[in-house]
Amino acid sequence: MEKLLLRNIGIPDSHMLATYESRGGYRSWRKVVETMKPEQLIDEVKASGLRGRGGAGFPTGMKWSFVPKDNPKPKYLVCNADESEPGTFKDRLLIEQDPHALIEGTLIAAYAIQSHAAFIYIRGELAFGANRLHRAVDEAYRAGFVGKNIFGSGYDLELIVHRGAGAYICGEETALLSSLEGGRGWPKVKPPFPATHGLFGCPTVVNNVETLAVLPWIIERGPAAYAAMGTEKSKGTKLFSVSGHIARPGVYELEMGYPFKKFLEEDCGGVPGGKKLKGVIPGGGSMPILRPEEIEKVNLDYESVQAAGSLLGSGGVIVMDETTCMVQAAWNIARFYAHESCGQCSPCREGCHWMEKIFHGIEHGKGEKADLDLILNISGNIMGNTICPFGDAAAMPAAAFIKKYRDEFEAHIAEKRCTVRH
Amino acid sequence: MDPVKITIDGKEVVTTKGKTVIQAAAEIGVAIPHYCYHPKLSIAGNCRMCLVEIEKMPKLQIACNTQVAEGMGVLTQSPKVLAVRKSVLEFLLINHPVDCPICDQAGECMLQNYYMEHDRQESRFDVGKVHDRKKTIFGPNVIFDGERCIKCTRCVRFCQEITKTDELTVVDRGDHSTIALFPDTLLDNPLSANVVDICPVGALTDRDFRFKVRVWYLEKTPSICPGCSTGCNISVETYQNRIARFKPRVNEAVNSHWICDEGRYCFHDLTDGQRLTTPLIRQEGGLVPVTWEQALQVAGAGLKSTGSSAAILSGRNTNEEAYLFAKLAKRISSRCELEVFYQERALTEVQKILMSPDRSPNFRGAREMGVSSNSGFDPLMKKIIAGGFSAAYVVGEDLITTSSEPDIVRAALQKLSFLVVQDTRLTETAKLAHVVLPATHFGEKEGTYTNRKGRVQKINPALIAPDGALQDSDIFLRLLDYTGETQIYFTPAEIFAALARDIPSYHGIEYELIGDQGIELGSGSAGIT
Repeated sequence: MEKLLLRNIGIPDSHMLATYESRGGYRSWRKVVETMKPEQLIDEVKASGLRGRGGAGFPTGMKWSFVPKDNPKPKYLVCNADESEPGTFKDRLLIEQDPHALIEGTLIAAYAIQSHAAFIYIRGELAFGANRLHRAVDEAYRAGFVGKNIFGSGYDLELIVHRGAGAYICGEETALLSSLEGGRGWPKVKPPFPATHGLFGCPTVVNNVETLAVLPWIIERGPAAYAAMGTEKSKGTKLFSVSGHIARPGVYELEMGYPFKKFLEEDCGGVPGGKKLKGVIPGGGSMPILRPEEIEKVNLDYESVQAAGSLLGSGGVIVMDETTCMVQAAWNIARFYAHESCGQCSPCREGCHWMEKIFHGIEHGKGEKADLDLILNISGNIMGNTICPFGDAAAMPAAAFIKKYRDEFEAHIAEKRCTVRH
Repeated sequence: MDPVKITIDGKEVVTTKGKTVIQAAAEIGVAIPHYCYHPKLSIAGNCRMCLVEIEKMPKLQIACNTQVAEGMGVLTQSPKVLAVRKSVLEFLLINHPVDCPICDQAGECMLQNYYMEHDRQESRFDVGKVHDRKKTIFGPNVIFDGERCIKCTRCVRFCQEITKTDELTVVDRGDHSTIALFPDTLLDNPLSANVVDICPVGALTDRDFRFKVRVWYLEKTPSICPGCSTGCNISVETYQNRIARFKPRVNEAVNSHWICDEGRYCFHDLTDGQRLTTPLIRQEGGLVPVTWEQALQVAGAGLKSTGSSAAILSGRNTNEEAYLFAKLAKRISSRCELEVFYQERALTEVQKILMSPDRSPNFRGAREMGVSSNSGFDPLMKKIIAGGFSAAYVVGEDLITTSSEPDIVRAALQKLSFLVVQDTRLTETAKLAHVVLPATHFGEKEGTYTNRKGRVQKINPALIAPDGALQDSDIFLRLLDYTGETQIYFTPAEIFAALARDIPSYHGIEYELIGDQGIELGSGSAGIT
């Protein structure tokens, strides 16, 4: 399969402008600025079937079209490069190895909504990537791809790289905007939505790194070429970050709809050491874990994974073999969400920590039988009742671990110790 | 204002476009429980207590941030809604210390009230509560208990949006989130104690009121703040015939939901201290107790026999009292100049949100009743200082301590041949008087104040005056008797009826219709809001 997103990865000096240009870089950007109207660009992206790769899978062209054209306020394009989802490291690869693809995609998206200021909000911990991005942006400015009067068209666009301060919640788009505004990284109550009231109260589109980085390819090859890949509703290719008990971990680009089991066993080399697969999280730490029997017929596209009871999410695939203690794994994830809950709304602020404390008790031999139903009840009380999707992100995995590995939890509680590792 | 038809719990409601579900529900008396929502603050949406079911929407929606739409069906009592309320309360209470017995908020706490209404379950939480600071002083008037806080951020938003002074913020994350002052900041803005009123729980309490009395023992009387001429609507809350606190009363035409700190605590200065309960007259260099009959006779005779006299009424006297005082001054002598006490000071921008520059809640009313010389209060004081009067009648104000030149005022008053002081305490001014008449203060009176903008509002007696003291109006009526002009009215209502006939701007205002929200001058009885 042709690589769209990883096409420059592995090329020497792939992060340099000269390398990027030698491989056709910024031609799409020139084509957009010189020959395309914003509406035409939006129509092309709509026609490609591209859906947001941040996790929710919202159609990208449609998102852009929500930006009001008659609003006198400035419009902003913001790239969400705050990749923090546990088990997810695909955006990081693009930022570090192919920053110009991200920049070119960001410029194209900004043009689509006629923004004159675009921001790349990068996770604070990604210092190496941020440095590369800064240098790449400088290169792009010097080459005249960004700034005033781009390609002599009269179109101005500034591009600002902003480093976050290291909170998972700032990957939630409205928390990201709060943080970018200089405030506390708190999600905003919706409505209003960012399309009309985003950054500094102005119309704003927030797109993920992977979503933006594929735009130059779509412009270059046409929407039909993109739409020809993937399934009926999940078009194109997607990056998967594979980690855990797997022979060949790493970032993979797959055509949407690729069989999950085949991917794990053939592309990634399966579970090493002759061990059996115990479970796999398909879409990052916030998505429900799937048991081996549940992935038999699952394909890696939005619809198929959802039908199996989980979500494709960020494509962070976390593989666990039979030696994994599911109590410990569940506690580990619960601890992450308790630590990262922003504390703004009641169910998440209190519920995440409550669940973590109960998981901690079970893991440390202090669990009681009623704890399992209590966690299920708490997660149900968080689910759907919070300001932002973080509550769901904490509630879903907690409930899934208990429902799918209940016998293991019960044994842990009964024997007051781990029955897997010891 | 486009009408929008919705149903709430099956009941059809016609409301207007732009309203939120919580507002539309309130209009028909359906109280949707909430913590973070406050009608005067931006929508935070963080408490999740107001989640309701909207037909055809998969998830519950917060009523505070959901705008009404034609045909919308709202369910506030469905099983899903009742369940989520219970769960939100459980979340809010797991880390709460439940220290109600020592909490000032107990009895008016929305955690207690909603727990009884919506929760009523045993705690399922036994894994260790988060501890926080129990008594952090936020400012001169406000103290913070972090463990009781539910992070609704009303206080933070108040300081951001109403006073725009930004003292408070949220720090830390998750269940360790807490409210804090910015470094090197104090919550000491002129409206700071309003955060106590809007705190739905016991996290922010009033340092003045703290631990004084259980709130369920308080008797509450609607009244008007005596602090300045803005005329903020308040509830005077008393215990054992003493004022325990002022609380704001909502009046969108005057003070909205707020009162200033100066007004909130002004009752201390106005009511503390030893009360006068016996009239006094000066004999052989000292003040000696006499009967009311003796005192009034001496006062009346003394005032009538002097040549030129100054009559100064307190800005806290009611319209009814001012009306009588003006009549009385005319009877004393044609050379009696009368004025209502009035002093201005400069105000900061934040003070200007509510405060007026004076400390005379009824100066406008008093002037309209005719308590007015042509010159004004300051020139009248200058004339007193210059020795322009031989006598003075001073009601309810200590001219010496309120002056920027107390020694000069004292010397001037000492030179008067006759001084009558009518007050609640033996003030510095009263100590110089020839006759001292023990009177009552704003908290013991019924009557009306007219605020700076011309709104007539009612004050009500919250306290019983001590034996021996007389209402100012009674003293004026008895002195009028003495001067030979017996009045046919007696109660504040009767006096008001008389003044409403006499004073053109009060025509048509009926005392009974002033109610607890007041009436604009000139609007007759039609101005009830």
